Amino acid sequence: MFDDSTLRLRIYDEIVRTSEAPSVAALATQFGVAVEDVSAVLRRMHNAHLLVLQPSGEVLMANPFSAVPTPFVTEVGDRRWFGNCIWDALGILATLHSNGRVLTSCAGCGDAMTLEVRDAVLTRDGIVHFALPARRWWDDIVFN
Amino acid sequence: MLLFRSEEQLGRWCDAWGLPRGAILSPAICWALAREWYQDRRDPNWRRRTVDEAHALFRQLGLTGDFWKLN
Repeated sequence: MFDDSTLRLRIYDEIVRTSEAPSVAALATQFGVAVEDVSAVLRRMHNAHLLVLQPSGEVLMANPFSAVPTPFVTEVGDRRWFGNCIWDALGILATLHSNGRVLTSCAGCGDAMTLEVRDAVLTRDGIVHFALPARRWWDDIVFN
Repeated sequence: MLLFRSEEQLGRWCDAWGLPRGAILSPAICWALAREWYQDRRDPNWRRRTVDEAHALFRQLGLTGDFWKLN
């Protein structure tokens, strides 16, 4: 079956399985539909803020996952994924319902920082900064 | 949303970008927000939160004030 929900879940399943977002062409092949059909659904989901597309039409963000490398690496065992920001990097652990670590750095000085979640508890010094108020988060989601 | 070692480092970042300070959270509160926001993302019945639902979650975590209003 090819519908919005099934496509959305397939994207997440592929990212969890491979740490990479599937291409539009790969999704079309998997569902046995035209590339244009996949692109149309993805565009609708992008416009509804269900995911974020690159200018090319490929997936950029299936939040909390990033399809491109970022300074926010979430590590579970020997597996790694990229998050879009510190919130999303922690969100990957929430999505996976897993213990793990976020490997990142201080945005001010560049020093390496690690956040570790174990048994749903996170302990670490430091501060998280939300630069934009909530109503502006989608004005420039890539910067945010 | 970025992580900083200290408020001093955040101040440097704000000065460099020419941006005012936004909202500051502890990593623990950010984790609580991430957990509530994303734990059901792979649920087949997942849907976007309504604005009211998001506001209720923010309030639950002590994230109140104009900064956390989505509309």
